[in-house]
Amino acid sequence: MGTQKRLPLAGIRVADFSWFGAGPIPAQLMAHFGAEVIRIESEAHMDGLRTTMPVPPGKEGPNVSGFYNNFNASKLSFTLNMSNPRAREIALDLLKICDVFIENYTPRVMEKWGLTYKDVVQVRPDIIYANLPMQGSWGPHRDFLGFGGVLAPVTGFTYLSGWPDRIPTGLGTNYPDYVVNPGHAFVAILAALRHRDRTGEGQQVEIAQIESTVSALGPYVMEYANNGDIPERNGNRIGWAAPHGAFPAKGDDRWCVITVFTDAQWDALRAAMGDPDWAKQEKFATLLGRKQHEDELEEHLSAWTRTLTAEEIADLLQARGVPAGIVQTAEDVLDKDPHLKARNFYQYLDHPEAGRTAYDGIPVRLSKTPGRIASPAPLLGQHNDYVLNDLLDLPEERLAELLVEQVVF
Amino acid sequence: MVATQTGENAMPAALEGVRVLHVPHLMTLMAGRLLANLGADVLLLEPPGGAAARRIPPFLHRDPSPHGSLPFLFATTSHRSITLDLAHRDALPLLRRLLGTCQIVLTGGDRAEIEALARLGLDPEAALAEHPHLVWIRVTGFGMDGPHADWLCPDLIGVAMSGIMSLAGYLDRAPTMPPWGQGYVATGMRAAEGAMLALRVAETTGEGQIVDVAMQEALSMAQETAMQYWDMRRELRKRQGSASLLPGVGTYPCADGYVYTMIGIPGFGAPWPVMVQWMAEEGKAEDLTEPEWQQLLTSMDLRTVTGLLAQPAALAEIKPKFDHVEQVLLRFFASHDKTYLYEEGQKRRLLIGPVNSAKDLVENRQLNARGWYQRVLHPERGEEVVYPGPPFRLMKTPWRITRRPPLIGEHNAEIWGGEFGLTPAQIAALAGSGTI
Repeated sequence: MGTQKRLPLAGIRVADFSWFGAGPIPAQLMAHFGAEVIRIESEAHMDGLRTTMPVPPGKEGPNVSGFYNNFNASKLSFTLNMSNPRAREIALDLLKICDVFIENYTPRVMEKWGLTYKDVVQVRPDIIYANLPMQGSWGPHRDFLGFGGVLAPVTGFTYLSGWPDRIPTGLGTNYPDYVVNPGHAFVAILAALRHRDRTGEGQQVEIAQIESTVSALGPYVMEYANNGDIPERNGNRIGWAAPHGAFPAKGDDRWCVITVFTDAQWDALRAAMGDPDWAKQEKFATLLGRKQHEDELEEHLSAWTRTLTAEEIADLLQARGVPAGIVQTAEDVLDKDPHLKARNFYQYLDHPEAGRTAYDGIPVRLSKTPGRIASPAPLLGQHNDYVLNDLLDLPEERLAELLVEQVVF
Repeated sequence: MVATQTGENAMPAALEGVRVLHVPHLMTLMAGRLLANLGADVLLLEPPGGAAARRIPPFLHRDPSPHGSLPFLFATTSHRSITLDLAHRDALPLLRRLLGTCQIVLTGGDRAEIEALARLGLDPEAALAEHPHLVWIRVTGFGMDGPHADWLCPDLIGVAMSGIMSLAGYLDRAPTMPPWGQGYVATGMRAAEGAMLALRVAETTGEGQIVDVAMQEALSMAQETAMQYWDMRRELRKRQGSASLLPGVGTYPCADGYVYTMIGIPGFGAPWPVMVQWMAEEGKAEDLTEPEWQQLLTSMDLRTVTGLLAQPAALAEIKPKFDHVEQVLLRFFASHDKTYLYEEGQKRRLLIGPVNSAKDLVENRQLNARGWYQRVLHPERGEEVVYPGPPFRLMKTPWRITRRPPLIGEHNAEIWGGEFGLTPAQIAALAGSGTI
């Protein structure tokens, strides 16, 4: 790997007051690249993910959820009960020595806790204060509820995914929480850090989840706003390629994906299939022809794909210059995909309670200052001593008080 | 030219002083968007005929012009454009001078395309040897090494290989992809993340580096819990279609489309009685106001709900009752538009979200109240084009569109002439020979 170089965010301290996904994930990436990221959480208002499935069989408690753990590696955990009014002072003391603050509750919560930007900037004038309210901190829908699966339908993702003849069911996950909103938040925070380094000036950074998420569908909203056309879902097809879709492969619920964008790819696909008669028909020779007869095309193609495994199809077609792949499951990506294995993408870490478990690797590779997963997800309150003694340097009596009064809880 | 908030044009830019050479590919577009609208000087480097990425539909006013591709327009606000055909001998000295003025180089494509760029003079190793501070980004489907590194990776392939696609759709049909282009969104995001990290290193230490992003890896986090379910429990998460186990939890038709609701899930908004009350106010609660049904619906606390979900037999027994509740709900939804159900329901703290189309989004009250959509003048068209607005709001260094997307080679004279000092005769020679 080379000599240990100073990581990009070494020396940066982040107070991660956020929960679920959109806040913790960018904070985690900061931690992987050297920032000291402290999750501030509490048994009184615990991150729901800490007790959500999946957990290893037979295990329980707030430290064994794979949902939580995969978003919080490389971080520290400090329990501070913000519903106790005496916690505010501790929070502000901690924020005095932090560079970045992150939260993603509805605006009312920070107001209740007394940790709005106006509050925090009093103790740390150059703070970078990142908030991720679902609807933004102002506007007629500001206080709307946004838990669970509401974001994807509201932001247009659900409408655009699935079959035209069936109820749209979305992406099967709370997709915007995992790459889009974290990505926008991360870039914004780093932009603010750059400005601070050059001018000494911090700032508030609001990532309204609705705005960030709809940005990932930019061309779609432009199509309506400028053309008056409403884009519709259409399975796995697109307008300028055919075939373009998922096809059944040999085995139980196994699927491959195949796309043909050029004449050369069509000819290569035909050859790969052994030059069957159906594919020689003139009507399939051109893109427009294949689009016109796309149902029939897909039926024929499926008859061929059913005879091979998805892996065989992907290997065979890619070797001949036809874009193809496997609709991989979690089992595939973790246990079978030779490419991810060769690249060591998934990392197995020993967690004191969850055991040896898999974590997402770092999805951006820097050649000289690569990130690293510093540690598995922290136990709840694991770093209370460190924060109270080393960072805040509180006297003994004060510590006892805080515990007894359930401020540190 | 741009309808922005007053005073924004006077505020500093977060990426002031950063020049990015952007060799555009579908994989890189989102990164270009993020960097350019944060104030970096982003130069599109295109072949004289325009980048291939300018061909992607849909088109502005359905006119298939290289200046009308909506995905390209969306991403290239605040960019300038120069052209250069790297196969021409005259191009190389110009490229070298250009690289000397850049902080970031943004490239993407399949590995073969990346390698072709390197052979033509866009070689990160050589460039870094000469300009050690450069941040060189390579965005691919599968990275630069590994058994699949040569695989072609249009969006659907990367999306499928990442694991996320297996989680979407109906079990009796093929899994379905997200709205087309999310693979490219993810690669662009990760490229921007890497750019910001590497820029920070370069600006503090003078040391540049190569940043590699692979679509398959860029999307992985969007598997939500599937990876962990398999790792921890050897249980495979699968696509679930629209089956909903509890009444009021799922996607339901309404008068003008669909709504997604989570009614009566403890901790997730108001409980069932609030929903019944609303329906009753409109005379549409039917028999749900009667004691038998009230009792059932008020009993839906956390223990009951989790208990039911864990016992298929108990769930099956109560199903006819749940079906009835759902039928009443469906009739209520059928009598209203999604926006009404959304706004009125949310007022009552019910967790309701409309399944919004692009039209609904453009008309969305919250986005419009926040002035999110931007009207940008295109003088060459004599009209304003509507663009999505800020994905984030930095209060001191705001995101802003500083110019409309560039025409192909629009800034050749400005850059090659104005900045590099080529004479008009030299520029004409380069243009005539197809070098620019």
